[in-house]
Amino acid sequence: MSGPRVLVVDDEPQIVRALQTTLRGAGYEVETASTGREALTHAAVRTPEAVILDLVLPDKSGVDVCRELRDWTQIPILILSAVGEERQKVAALDAGADDYVTKPFGIEELLARLRAALRRTGPVGEPVLEIGELRIDLDKREVLRDGERIQLTPHEFALLRLLGVNEGKLLTHRMILRDVWGPAYQAESHYLHVYVSQLRRKIERDPTRPRYLLTEPGAGYRLVAP
Amino acid sequence: MDAAAPSLQRFMARVTVSAAALALVTGAIYVLQTVAPILSLGVLYVFAVLPVAIIGGLPYALPVAVASMLAFNWLFLPPKYTFELRESENWVALAVYLATAVVVSELAARSRRRAAEAEQRAREAALLAEVAGVLLEGSSVQAELAGIELRVASVLGASGATIKLETEQPPDAEESAYDLRAGDRFIGRLFLPDETRARSSARVLGALASLLAVAVDRERLARTALEAEALRRSDEAKTALLRAVSHDLRSPLTAIRAATDGLTTASLALDEADRAALLATIDAESKRLERLVGNLLDLSRLEAGAATPQRELWTLEDLVGRALADLGAAAERVSVSIADDLPPIRVDGTQIERVLVNLLDNALKYSAPADPVGLSAERGDGAVLVRIVDLGPGVDEDDRERLFEPFERGTAGGASPGAGLGLAIVRGFARANDGSVWLEPGHPYGTSFVVSLPSATPHGAPVGA
Repeated sequence: MSGPRVLVVDDEPQIVRALQTTLRGAGYEVETASTGREALTHAAVRTPEAVILDLVLPDKSGVDVCRELRDWTQIPILILSAVGEERQKVAALDAGADDYVTKPFGIEELLARLRAALRRTGPVGEPVLEIGELRIDLDKREVLRDGERIQLTPHEFALLRLLGVNEGKLLTHRMILRDVWGPAYQAESHYLHVYVSQLRRKIERDPTRPRYLLTEPGAGYRLVAP
Repeated sequence: MDAAAPSLQRFMARVTVSAAALALVTGAIYVLQTVAPILSLGVLYVFAVLPVAIIGGLPYALPVAVASMLAFNWLFLPPKYTFELRESENWVALAVYLATAVVVSELAARSRRRAAEAEQRAREAALLAEVAGVLLEGSSVQAELAGIELRVASVLGASGATIKLETEQPPDAEESAYDLRAGDRFIGRLFLPDETRARSSARVLGALASLLAVAVDRERLARTALEAEALRRSDEAKTALLRAVSHDLRSPLTAIRAATDGLTTASLALDEADRAALLATIDAESKRLERLVGNLLDLSRLEAGAATPQRELWTLEDLVGRALADLGAAAERVSVSIADDLPPIRVDGTQIERVLVNLLDNALKYSAPADPVGLSAERGDGAVLVRIVDLGPGVDEDDRERLFEPFERGTAGGASPGAGLGLAIVRGFARANDGSVWLEPGHPYGTSFVVSLPSATPHGAPVGA
């Protein structure tokens, strides 16, 4: 049996080899590419179900590859980034990448992110989201924690709804601001920090040790089931 | 400059001019007395007084005025050849004439002084403009001082001048010192020889001091800016090093971590071949880390000047063999061709091995995995030439020298990562062993690095021992 097909794009042959072996061991079918052009061709011809993409490639940046992929496909893209590449990482996420891991990464972490990204394909249709103790009713605009009703302002609700619909997915500051406040606000990340801390005070038991609404430093936020 | 001429000579010259003017006018009056009333001709003596006043000033004009009055009286006024006057109104005429002569000569002397002063001011203004230009365009204040001193001396009418910045050194025996001050600030001193009464004025000294002050300040600022720029560059180099080294460290670490994780994660289904592949990855990447750390050490040794070669006799085959072994499986792409007639070389084996490893590593890194890398060696003029050829993207002409600087990488290689230490080490070690390394463009593409190493002396005698 062969599992989902994954395209690994990195110009370091040893990293590609190690990923190929371990991913295959985890039941994935693995395609590899060492340049951006090769990656785009492979993605079009072999139609992988997910892409693991290094940010630094010899011919073009991972951000460009990401953008070009997003022109025609919504397959999950997982970024391999390194310390010092934060700006490109956020740019890739803004360009539509789903998540990232930082080099050197553990295989367990990579596999978990990959599984989560593959699970998320296709929009969530249900009107009620259940995330841990949280119950978010999108129709009635109602949020319950452990059966107790939580009062949210319209912006707080919009923020929680966006994060909840994309459960587990990393959303960049820019994405959240654009969606909740509108395109004119997409650079105003201090807005977002204020609302996130308000929202945490309402949904988290200990807002200083959040379990639902997690910060990805320098990148954005994600809502997870603890 | 009349200031420089001996004053006796000048005095004699002026007396001669005065006498001549007096004689000339007297002659003219003698001629004219037949056609005009004699009394009206006395005024002609003004033409003798005036030029003398202009040339010599009042001290010469006054005697000439008195002398011409006496001459007029003696020669022309009756009774002639006496100083007596027949008619008393002639006394009045002589008095008026004397007064006129004095006033006219004073006016002439004054206008002459004015003209001289204006001329001096113009010279000073020209001097200052010139000095300002020299200071603005010149390389450094100190370098331009000699030229400025010459100009100052000429304008101030001195035989020489010396400017010393920021020193209150007392003047020598035969010179005087003038402080150059801009506002309250002491800039330096101007030394002028005593033998001349230099026309130094507070005005020109002040302006000169201000100009020098501005130039000195400008120079100091430029120096500070230069130092700041140097610091910024070294800071940038350090940042680049950290960034590049952390990238170079992280790539092998990532591969090693992924491989060890793969080997230790029980849930993964790996067969023997997979395990062998992961172990091979760990092996290769640890070697790469080792090479990087080795390169960092080598570079710090080279920069510290502590890379003294331990010379021994080597054959190139030996060194190439060691380099290929060091590179491991990656070296399978290298095709080697070494001429049969190569003389031995007398080098530090470890250092030259590092040279070859770095060049081969680069060639492998910057060319496609399927392309071969060539290593050939031939006999040169008193040297062994080693050529390492790849079919990679090549090196832009502008990059060819820059590439040998630490932390520099070519632009043609795209975003290919690396600390850029390799070539700096290659050149450092090649030079330490009296060799050299350069870059030739490949035909039609690719890159060819050439290392030239001096061959050991024909009799095998130790070099420099």
